[in-house]
Amino acid sequence: MIEPASAASWHALSRRRLIMLGAGAAAGTLAGLSPQRATAVLKLDVTSGNVQPIPIAVPDFVSVATQDPAAGRNVSQIIASNLQRSGLFAPIDQAAYIEKILTIDTLPRFADWRQINAQALVTGRVTQGDGRLKAEFRLWDVFAGQHLHGQQYTTTPDNWRRIAHIISDAIYERLTGEKGYFDSRVVFVDESGPKDRRIKRLALMDQDGANVRYLTRGDDLVLTPRFSSTADTITYMSYGQGDPKVYLMNIETGQREIVSNFPGMSFSPRFSPDSQRVIFSLQRGGNSNLFVMDLRSKATTRLTDTQVIDTAPSYSPDGTRITFESDRGGQQQIYVMAANGGQAQRISFGDGAYSTPVWSPRGDYIAFTKQAQGRFAIGIMRPDGSGERILTEGYHNEGPTWSANGRVVMLFRDPGGNSGPTLYTVDVTGRNEQLLKTPSYASDPSWSPLLQSRF
Amino acid sequence: MRENGDMRIAYTISGIGHAAVLLWSVWSLAAKPLPAPPSEALPVDIVTVSDFTKITAGNKSAPNAETPKPLVEQVAEPKPVEDTTAKLDKKEVKAVREPPPAPEAKPVEAKPEKKQAETKPDQIAEALTKDESKKPEPKKAEAKPPAPPKKPAPPTPKFDPKQVEALLDKRTATRVAAAGDTLNNTASLGLPNAGAAQMSLSELDALRQRLANKWNPPAGAKDPQELVVQVQVRFKPDGTLAARPQVLSSGTSPLSIAARDSAVRALYAGQPFDMLKPEHYEQWKEIEITFDPRSMIRGY
Repeated sequence: MIEPASAASWHALSRRRLIMLGAGAAAGTLAGLSPQRATAVLKLDVTSGNVQPIPIAVPDFVSVATQDPAAGRNVSQIIASNLQRSGLFAPIDQAAYIEKILTIDTLPRFADWRQINAQALVTGRVTQGDGRLKAEFRLWDVFAGQHLHGQQYTTTPDNWRRIAHIISDAIYERLTGEKGYFDSRVVFVDESGPKDRRIKRLALMDQDGANVRYLTRGDDLVLTPRFSSTADTITYMSYGQGDPKVYLMNIETGQREIVSNFPGMSFSPRFSPDSQRVIFSLQRGGNSNLFVMDLRSKATTRLTDTQVIDTAPSYSPDGTRITFESDRGGQQQIYVMAANGGQAQRISFGDGAYSTPVWSPRGDYIAFTKQAQGRFAIGIMRPDGSGERILTEGYHNEGPTWSANGRVVMLFRDPGGNSGPTLYTVDVTGRNEQLLKTPSYASDPSWSPLLQSRF
Repeated sequence: MRENGDMRIAYTISGIGHAAVLLWSVWSLAAKPLPAPPSEALPVDIVTVSDFTKITAGNKSAPNAETPKPLVEQVAEPKPVEDTTAKLDKKEVKAVREPPPAPEAKPVEAKPEKKQAETKPDQIAEALTKDESKKPEPKKAEAKPPAPPKKPAPPTPKFDPKQVEALLDKRTATRVAAAGDTLNNTASLGLPNAGAAQMSLSELDALRQRLANKWNPPAGAKDPQELVVQVQVRFKPDGTLAARPQVLSSGTSPLSIAARDSAVRALYAGQPFDMLKPEHYEQWKEIEITFDPRSMIRGY
């Protein structure tokens, strides 16, 4: 006899619920339908733009008491060349300039620059005195007639190229909103001699290919040089006598140090983001695993323990994760795991084999080499494996490395035949592919972060 | 007991069914309106603004020489109307035909007349705006004016002076003109404005197109949210910027600063915005423009 009552109460309850639900639904519907309030001011949305290189004028810097009368011109030419190579700027031919900049202490005649369609204008001055070189620049918004940025630097005269790079970075950052990458270096493997007797030397150069310097003599085979986050140390693999070992080298002093003195072959080293550790693979028997060594305590920790080949590790910029390649699934693929090891998650699922993952310093992408149908492509994907995009493809492309701001990828390309590899840069959008000139063949580039030493 | 059981089942089914319908309505009816409005919101705004501007634009065309805005205010407020009548009175003297009675009548009758006139004009204006699309307007104006004049018959002398000349040109009737001042004002304004005064979508599109063409947003940003820039722009009648565009969106990161500059640069580089017609100046003298590159750089 209790049931009917409970049934009735259930009915009542359910009805009430339904009414409430209905009211809620009605309210929701009304809320959804309520009209937006109209406002008096006319509004306009512009959702598409015209992305193109910014037309910029870089007239010769004014030279004051410089030993080289062309000092000002040299600086401005490096700046223009840097900006042009980035693909984001279109320096205007000096022949078109109407106003000749004779001093930077007065306002430029914006109308003259507007007429040649310059959106930005860089003026500057190089002054020499007391053995010091002072460089100043001003960045102007031509259309708004506004001063955007200005800075001055003092250094020794032989640092004039770096000054030009630093000014380039300042301009780049002010106009694009992103950090620049011009004041950086590239370490690579210089390859000379005939194909069957190649001499491989570690070499260092500025980001634009200038100031090439050799770090090794070519007695030993060297591979995979990698920069530390402080840009003054590299780690690399060298084949001397016996097994390949991982070394550290201070590029300023030339001092060398062996990292991994273990039995077996150690290779594919890379610094952690804080440069306190080096991660590398160590091969024993038929398999290779990942290890990390603390550079101060020399304590080595094993990160993977598999019967397959795990290699090419690279840290995420925050140092919490590692991406690496492994053939644990039967074919080379890219995996991501925590920095202290543990479960690894596969992120590459396209056709073909994926290798040499490198985490962008910005953290948003992982660059890789992809091998499919006999061709090698360089691409990027997000750390979760989504958004894969091929930047360049061909007979042989390999060894991606990121610019300091994560906007440009450098790689080496081997056309096959009797020639050798050369270095290229390509934008993360896949556009603006450019050859980077080197004295001879070059491979395995590693791009440094922005240089930290201020002269 | 069994019935109760059946009932319960029935209630349950019906309850679930109703709930499902209600939920469906919540989702389908409430969710859909949201995406659509933004795009249609613009036209709506334009229409409302145009209502004002029709009056204002009409004023412009009437004086031809000066003060488009004051005329708008006058229409809205009773006082300005008085002023106009007073000025017109002077002209009446020249005309001399009917005005003689006017001077005496003015003080007493003026106020009531004006009130009537004011209230009626609105209705007429609305009617006109509705009918604007149709060309026959002039006829309507002629047809309607007679009605108001009948009631305010006495005021005729005052109103005549206002636009006596125009009225005379078109019609011979003198009395109609009296009530007609207000009516004619709106009507005459409406005629020239009707076709042209409304800022067309194509004008806005042309403006958008120009800006899109000149706008070079910083590309490849990691967080495109920072790139959205809202700018308030004041224009001069010739389509150039009246002042430096005022950036409404805040943001101090290098990226948002670069985005801000790129938007302002587009505005400077796009001048003069000659696709904006001077006769619609009241509508576009101030525009709030949002530069939003997110759709173009999604995933770069």
